[in-house]
Amino acid sequence: MSTVIATPVKTRAHKGFSPGRIWTLATHTATQLLRMRIVAFLAVFCLVALGAAFFFPQLSPEQQLKQLKDWSMGSMLVASVVFSITATALLLPKDLEDRTLYTILSKPVPRYEYLLGKLLGMLLLLFCGLLLMDLIFSVVLWLKQQALLSAMIAMLEQQQAATPENVAYVEASIRKYGLNSGVHVEVWMVFLRASVVTAMTLLISTFASTTLFTIITSMAFTIAGFGVALMREWVLKGLYGWTEKTVGALLAILCPDLGMFDLSTAAIRGEVTLGVVGQLTGYAAMYVAAYMVVSHLFFVEKEL
Amino acid sequence: MNKRVLGVLLFLAFGLARLPLDHAMTMNLREKGLKEAPPTVSWQEDFGQMFLATLGGLRSLVASVGFLEAYSAWERNDWGAVDNRMTLVTRMQPYEPTYWDEASWHMAYNAASYFKRDKSLRAAIQNKLFKDHVQRGLEILNEGLRYLPENRRLLEALGYIYKDRQPDPERAATAFIEAHKNGSLDFIERLGAYELVKVGDRASSAQAYEILKRYYDRGPPFTKMESIQRDLRILENRLNIPADKRIPAAPAPASTTSPRPMLRNTNP
Repeated sequence: MSTVIATPVKTRAHKGFSPGRIWTLATHTATQLLRMRIVAFLAVFCLVALGAAFFFPQLSPEQQLKQLKDWSMGSMLVASVVFSITATALLLPKDLEDRTLYTILSKPVPRYEYLLGKLLGMLLLLFCGLLLMDLIFSVVLWLKQQALLSAMIAMLEQQQAATPENVAYVEASIRKYGLNSGVHVEVWMVFLRASVVTAMTLLISTFASTTLFTIITSMAFTIAGFGVALMREWVLKGLYGWTEKTVGALLAILCPDLGMFDLSTAAIRGEVTLGVVGQLTGYAAMYVAAYMVVSHLFFVEKEL
Repeated sequence: MNKRVLGVLLFLAFGLARLPLDHAMTMNLREKGLKEAPPTVSWQEDFGQMFLATLGGLRSLVASVGFLEAYSAWERNDWGAVDNRMTLVTRMQPYEPTYWDEASWHMAYNAASYFKRDKSLRAAIQNKLFKDHVQRGLEILNEGLRYLPENRRLLEALGYIYKDRQPDPERAATAFIEAHKNGSLDFIERLGAYELVKVGDRASSAQAYEILKRYYDRGPPFTKMESIQRDLRILENRLNIPADKRIPAAPAPASTTSPRPMLRNTNP
């Protein structure tokens, strides 16, 4: 009679916090969003804006480069904010509709890990999208800059004024508005702003009843967030009445100060130091962390 | 405590706690010159438009749109609209020198010349409108210089207006020399010296002489420049420079035509 010896099953101890699980959720979120073709729409939007920059009237070389930069950065900002709000607002309802949320949460996955995974997936997609836009934009800007520089030097030669001094002057003034580190700093600022908006939208979606409510509320908070600095400057210190001051103070408390990340003029001059970039990155991280803590408190109570 | 209530309280506490931080950071960035203060608007200006346009990073985009509108108004010779649009643009981006330069150029050159050439107007009106628009160009530049006091581009533009549009050699010279101190090409310093020659007093002449002699002493091509030679001679006479320190007399221009044959050697 043979005896069967049962081999002990090796079970891995369940961890309270697992970066691996969060990464899996994040990549799944990114794939889920990519399948929704949101990125393709945004890419077309940006390319159209970029193409439009070439149809502007023939202005001075500096103005041509500035217009190209302003329009491209503006479209990147609008695209990233719209993408952050709409895509994040869809995340939880889509998981509920597809019932994947129940599958995930029925496993030993804490709710904060689920939220972190969703946030990280969104940020990953945003970062990759903006990196791609930055690359395309940098190439276009460099080509435009070289074309303008060649045209200017040819014009100086035609006027017999292409002295080394004049050529150096033209080169310096065109380079100032052309491709430099300031461009990448601006794109990073766009990413930071979009990160804060994403975290805020995720927070709203944890208690919102419908996707439409999340989108509208997030949009309103974002628009108000752009004007918070102005509110602090004019309303809270100005000669306004009690009602205006209360509304102003409330908006300043509730909305994130998104205008803080606007360094476009300084970035053109190439004056933004790494220290300032680090400071603003920390500032954005503070918002994201605070919003995630509050999101968790709402989400953990949510009845699914 | 209910976690939702705790969430609301935490959210409000975070909002309250970051108010002073937001303010301090904004001030810090402004002190470093990295952030612009909100546009200073008066109630005469379009407050609503300014407010909308001040929304975050869209400021530069709105300025850009305003600039294109000004361009199209310029094509229509609608000078009021050009001024209005460019005012909005410069308010949106007061630290961008190209906008101040362009706004002033539209007024002091394009609009002023347009009215000067407008034959439908009486001569007195033509002159008045010309002067008014040149003056407006100067006002725009001076306003821009309040934000960018050391900007060579604006200083150069100011110098050119005082040189060509509203002649004032003293102010033109000051602007050109200041521009050169802030990085303009050497040519601009020489322009300043030529203006100082026009001023005519002893101090200005001495300063002009110092500048032009400095370039002359560098050798060619400065020794061959007619403007330098002409003005140095004027200044040498004016300042009574000793003969041994004067620049060599200009050689007589070589004649390319053969001398006219003498028909008679003596008078009849």
